Amino acid sequence: MTFERIELKTFGRGGVHPSTHKRDTALLPVEAISPLPPEVWLPLVQHLGEPATPLVKKGDRVVRGQKIADGGATGAPLHATISGKVKPIDKRPHPTLVSVDSIIIARDGEEEQEFPEDPDWRTLSREEMLERIREAGIVGLGGAAFPTYRKLTLPPGARVDTFILNGAECEPYLTSDLRLMLEEPLAIVEGALAMARLIGVKRVLVGIEADKMPAVESLRAAAKEVPLGEQTFDVAPCEVRYPQGAERQLVTALTGRVIPPRSLPSAVGVLVQNVATAQAVHLAIRHRRPLLDRIMTVSGPGVLQPKNLRVPIGTLLQALVDACGGMRPDTTRLIAGGPMMGRALPRLDLPVIKGMNGLLLLTGKGPMEDGFGPCIQCGRCLESCPLGLEPDQVSIRVEAGKVLDTDPYGPIDCYECGCCTYVCPSGRPLLQFMQVAKSALRRAIEVKVKV
Amino acid sequence: MSDATITVTGPSEPAFIIEPGPHVHSSETTSKIMWSVNAALAPAALWGVVVFGFPALAVLLGSIAGALGSEWVTNRLLKSRTSLRDGSAFCTGLLMAMTLPPLLPAWAAFLGGIFAIVFAKAIFGGLGYNLFNPALVGRAFLMASFPLAMTSGWSAAAPWLSNVDAMTTATPLGALRERGIEAAMSVMGGPGSPTVNLLIGFRPGSIGEVSVLLLLAGGAFLLTKRIITPTIPLAVVAGVVLTTAASGHLGLHLLSGGLWLGALFMATDYVTSPSTRNGQIAFGLLIGALTGVIRLYGGYPEGICYAILIANTMVPALNLWFRPRRPVFAGSPS
Repeated sequence: MTFERIELKTFGRGGVHPSTHKRDTALLPVEAISPLPPEVWLPLVQHLGEPATPLVKKGDRVVRGQKIADGGATGAPLHATISGKVKPIDKRPHPTLVSVDSIIIARDGEEEQEFPEDPDWRTLSREEMLERIREAGIVGLGGAAFPTYRKLTLPPGARVDTFILNGAECEPYLTSDLRLMLEEPLAIVEGALAMARLIGVKRVLVGIEADKMPAVESLRAAAKEVPLGEQTFDVAPCEVRYPQGAERQLVTALTGRVIPPRSLPSAVGVLVQNVATAQAVHLAIRHRRPLLDRIMTVSGPGVLQPKNLRVPIGTLLQALVDACGGMRPDTTRLIAGGPMMGRALPRLDLPVIKGMNGLLLLTGKGPMEDGFGPCIQCGRCLESCPLGLEPDQVSIRVEAGKVLDTDPYGPIDCYECGCCTYVCPSGRPLLQFMQVAKSALRRAIEVKVKV
Repeated sequence: MSDATITVTGPSEPAFIIEPGPHVHSSETTSKIMWSVNAALAPAALWGVVVFGFPALAVLLGSIAGALGSEWVTNRLLKSRTSLRDGSAFCTGLLMAMTLPPLLPAWAAFLGGIFAIVFAKAIFGGLGYNLFNPALVGRAFLMASFPLAMTSGWSAAAPWLSNVDAMTTATPLGALRERGIEAAMSVMGGPGSPTVNLLIGFRPGSIGEVSVLLLLAGGAFLLTKRIITPTIPLAVVAGVVLTTAASGHLGLHLLSGGLWLGALFMATDYVTSPSTRNGQIAFGLLIGALTGVIRLYGGYPEGICYAILIANTMVPALNLWFRPRRPVFAGSPS
């Protein structure tokens, strides 16, 4: 018997290996949330860009799929994700902002607008594809939620030769991208190839962490079924190592290129999109179907029945928890996203927004609850930082009130992966020290994003 | 159906804890690290009690008591967030005792423990802020205050084996320095060949330095738990080899002094060593070279204690010279 040696791609320095907890949900097929939510809240602010402008008013009857708010020049439009009556547009709690004007729809039916296949979908012009992606209200579904049509509109002068499809899913617990890669690989491959065509790129690379080999095989098999033309589509298994799925790390892992500080991947000729975004893009191009649902992994020790759920955007988190059999009474923490970069939420009466990729219910004390000790200069944070920054030095200076002396240690370049806090044996909130230093420095020095 | 069943709309009390991310943490804590170091040291320290008897135990207890007592008092005075339970003061007391001669009066060890904590740790601001290794500062204080007891308090190893009364003698390196290699070999005790006796620890010396094997086992434990890395110990040993190889007594230099205790457990102290790998290599080589130079040309038969203390002064500079390397911009579209 011989064993094939698989060469795993990975990034250069730093990173950590938290327990992945993916087994809890990896084998659970995506199921539509049931019952459908009686009400959805669709905040007019979902992501960066200008707030959406409502196209409906109180009392209107809307059908799932119908456009209900316009995105303006920099935002993305919103669509009704369930069919029903529009209630008064009112402020509602928001997962990242305090409270935001939201379109509230009370469900009274289950019908959906039809989105027939466009027979000419393979031969659309770039402009047509971009317009469909924009009209579908698609944003980056990996978590950043930047409007996809804007990301696909490359800055003038940018030379991009590689499209990277991000299926790394390096956050513990989350398996929504894994399930999508197993269940809808064709749509993902088509969507990725379409986006690459749109920006005039022939080379498509996919990065998937090696604990998801079935997904690697799934996308490889799907790529054999689609006409590639001049394009290439290569799937690379990557080392299971957080933050493998961060743009900077994945670009280095797959191409060997290193993005300069404060620059976008296009600076080294790369554009990165998440697999869920690719699937949504495919549906938008082929069917003009807007982004209506999100696949969310609901997991963590506080959930009675962890699941991968397809939920209409705007569904309240309470409905997700109910659909998973409820939560254990000792649940103490509610996290939107993964446990490394996710955000703690105060309560369950909050809507699912476009950028949310998971919901975790955690038990027990948080890492910070017992306070923190002094830096013992063990150097673990230095080793863990994928960017080679110096969180120890930053934290000591912030503690001493010398925030503006932290610049040489790099807080401005920090993209907040959290590896430093994860490894600190003194339990120091190093990431927060970095954030404090970063925002103070940004105010002090005008930092321009280079492209 | 048109009336929503969900009525909560206004702000309500948070039902869940709001905390900054990340929301998971590696299981490593400062106190786990410190107690692991203490556990790694314990076999070699207990071996010192076996070969040197109760005086060694009294020194160990005196030193630890002095360190813990003064840590408790200074923590109160400094209103420190740290506690005795973190194991760092225990570690200081234990480490210092392991560098002391077994016949040193226990009250002197007690004083040394106090000096180490008060003057090498607390006045710098407590855990994490000290420049020098506290255990070694304590030992240097005792060298200055009780020079006779510190340089002649050696007892023969395992008198119960050789059927002689416990008596004072010289350490192998001391004998080598004063009277040559044959004298050095003659002070060894125990049943085996000189090399075996050196490895197992049947020889006069400081309480915790004599058993090279148990120190290596403790070091291996810390290496496998990834509490220390091999960088500093290897660099220290390399420095000693480079400076003493020409003397013709390399084996004795490697096996008979405080080299392993210092290289594995003192030079690797996080607070008083550089944080990056290249800085650690420079630091270790400096310690090893100074150790060899002091042993061959200096005023003491042993050198690693002062070598580490001198190298400690270089740590801020080494941290400045050897910063982490940031990934360099590379590659562009073809």
